[in-house]
Amino acid sequence: MAAVQPVVTHGTGHSASEERDRPWQVVVWNDPVTLMSYVVVVFRRLFGYDLETATQLMLKVHVEGRAVVATEPRERAEVSVAQLHAHGLQATLARD
Amino acid sequence: MAEIRREGDLTVFQLEPKERQVLLEIVDRIEPMLGSSHWVAPRAYREEELEREFRRLAGEDLERARQADLATLREGLSGPLPVRLGDPEVWGWVRALNFLRLALAEQLGIAEDGWEEGYSPRQHRRPPLATLHLLSWLQEELIDSLA
Repeated sequence: MAAVQPVVTHGTGHSASEERDRPWQVVVWNDPVTLMSYVVVVFRRLFGYDLETATQLMLKVHVEGRAVVATEPRERAEVSVAQLHAHGLQATLARD
Repeated sequence: MAEIRREGDLTVFQLEPKERQVLLEIVDRIEPMLGSSHWVAPRAYREEELEREFRRLAGEDLERARQADLATLREGLSGPLPVRLGDPEVWGWVRALNFLRLALAEQLGIAEDGWEEGYSPRQHRRPPLATLHLLSWLQEELIDSLA
């Protein structure tokens, strides 16, 4: 993925560099058709989670409708979300 | 009858030419739905400005990757039988199958968990639901072969 543009900081009270370094959450959302087994193997492949952790996160997505699967600097979190989208998972970024 | 098994480093998909033809026709029929599916290309940000920037940076790469996965699926189905796939190709297939399932489900108006109970057994046995189940079976078997 190409470089990320400067973060919009209006109204946050943070400088651009502080904003850039703030962690962001990678959130995966439930959908009614994606197979549970698929979600588990994608979490393991993209984030290196062991089977138990990946399964717990998948179940959290399924039961609660969403789960934070990683907390990362914004640029890295955008890459993670893009990778999740490339696997067909519903993923968004949110400020930590 | 179609069967998937592991042989060393390869996943082997044994199927009849007729079954192969059915799968290729399913891909042809569903692929045009991908462009209008929100699940296939979901938002990354709630904020419009951030979302536009994300799309500008990643949108084309994601589209290209989707097309490459669909091409991998088509090429595998169009080659010699049985189909023999290395793990990178299996990943291409399972991603492509996920996109096809998402687009078909969205087209059918499936929106919530438990949707299966809203259909009769007869509806589950016939297209388009049977098509969704077939793609699910294939994706699940391929995932098992990776594990």
